[in-house]
Amino acid sequence: MRIFRRSLAAGALLLGLAAGQAVAQQMPPLPQSIREHGVLRAGVRCDQPPYGFRGPDGGFAGVETEMARQMAAWAFGSADKIELQCVTAANRIPQLNARRVDLLIATLGVTPERARVIDFSNAYRWGGSDLLVRRDSPIRSLDDVRSRTVIMLSGTTQAAWFDANMPGLNSLRLNTASDALQALLQGRGEAYAHDAATLIVIAARDPNLRMVGEPFAVSDAAVGLRKNEPEWMAWINAALDRMKREGLYTAWLEKWVPAEIRPPYTAAFMDPRPAAR
Amino acid sequence: MEFDVDYLVQQLPALRAGFLLTIQISAIAVVLSIAIGLVGASMRVLRVPVLAQLFAAYVEFIRNTPLLVQLFFVFFGLPALGLTLSLFWSGVLALTLWAGAFQTENVRGGLAAISPGLREAARALGLSRGQYLRLVGLPLAVRTGLPAMLNTCVSLVKNSAYVSAIGLRDLAGVAFDRIASDFRAFEMLAVLLVGYLALVLSLSFAVRVIEHHLQKPFRA
Repeated sequence: MRIFRRSLAAGALLLGLAAGQAVAQQMPPLPQSIREHGVLRAGVRCDQPPYGFRGPDGGFAGVETEMARQMAAWAFGSADKIELQCVTAANRIPQLNARRVDLLIATLGVTPERARVIDFSNAYRWGGSDLLVRRDSPIRSLDDVRSRTVIMLSGTTQAAWFDANMPGLNSLRLNTASDALQALLQGRGEAYAHDAATLIVIAARDPNLRMVGEPFAVSDAAVGLRKNEPEWMAWINAALDRMKREGLYTAWLEKWVPAEIRPPYTAAFMDPRPAAR
Repeated sequence: MEFDVDYLVQQLPALRAGFLLTIQISAIAVVLSIAIGLVGASMRVLRVPVLAQLFAAYVEFIRNTPLLVQLFFVFFGLPALGLTLSLFWSGVLALTLWAGAFQTENVRGGLAAISPGLREAARALGLSRGQYLRLVGLPLAVRTGLPAMLNTCVSLVKNSAYVSAIGLRDLAGVAFDRIASDFRAFEMLAVLLVGYLALVLSLSFAVRVIEHHLQKPFRA
């Protein structure tokens, strides 16, 4: 009887150890070049709530910033082993290729032009575009802007979409979301085209603005990596899988997105990508 | 690193439009800033009561603040004070104000370099201060200050690239926008270098011709 109980205990111990090993081996090995830095160097947005922006205390905030911090925790054991850098739509890919950062979690949409110069991880969410206009604006649909001035950011999927679909459009291209919003409020353009995710937050804060509500230019968002880094790519994909499996997105959305506007963001992370123009 | 000539050729129409815009903006700003320089220096030398101090304060303010900040102030700040200028005129205004301050100092330096003997001779001949400036002071000051004024004009042409930050599609603006979408930085930056070099060299050549012409009375 004692032998049976002992072997049972031994068996349970072995099982426990094996399970422990399996948990530790959830992530593929961290590439040496990344490990050398000692910190996770990530490029994030600083002007796009709720994904990457400056929080009330002036520090880095947002769902994508949380993703970066979680990756730092899994890679180096602590969420503080991270070097976050603000990037803009225009300079994020050059920053990555110049090795100033090792990955981009910066509202980066997957496009073939970008795929020529960088590699994309598996998509972690999708995002669509929309137009922000003043409450009393006559613009009611996407086609209404054809004869008007549209403000957008340089290097974004919106800029590419309008170049391809409305080439004659009078577009005012600025560098940051804050500049673009300021220009809209000052009447330098009749509409501001950007990721719906950011516009929802802006419209929620300002009763004088509203969204047109006709989604276009829907694309997947993925982590950006330099080309030819397969080990790093495998690690990032495993990290994204783990975030989804462990339901971490829900917690981060609850932290950074007010409940009344949360449903579209949850859909972006959890539901499949819809079709649009 | 490959150089995609086809891509460059495709972008030429937009780049040419940008180049023309750069020339337009720079030309207007150069002319207006020189006018401001002549007027400002004259006001200070003549010690016109309010204007002299105003110009002195203006020069100090412009010289001690970054051009980019001045540009954003004109573009985003003025509308808050009730004055909304178009993109084009915001850019021209900011560049003109910036260069005008330096030109004021350039001409003032030229005026200061005139020997006191000439000033006394002018007074002895009964020339008023305004006549002195018109007939003796400014012609001499401009000849002396021409190298410095050219310097400022060259800086103005190069700094005109800043207007891309407020969305103007000048040469730099078009190039940066294309780089942001297509990532062909090498091709676009090569065009930028050639474009601005051509502009600055033309400007230097034009000024050399003017200098040659102005030196005629003094040549043997």
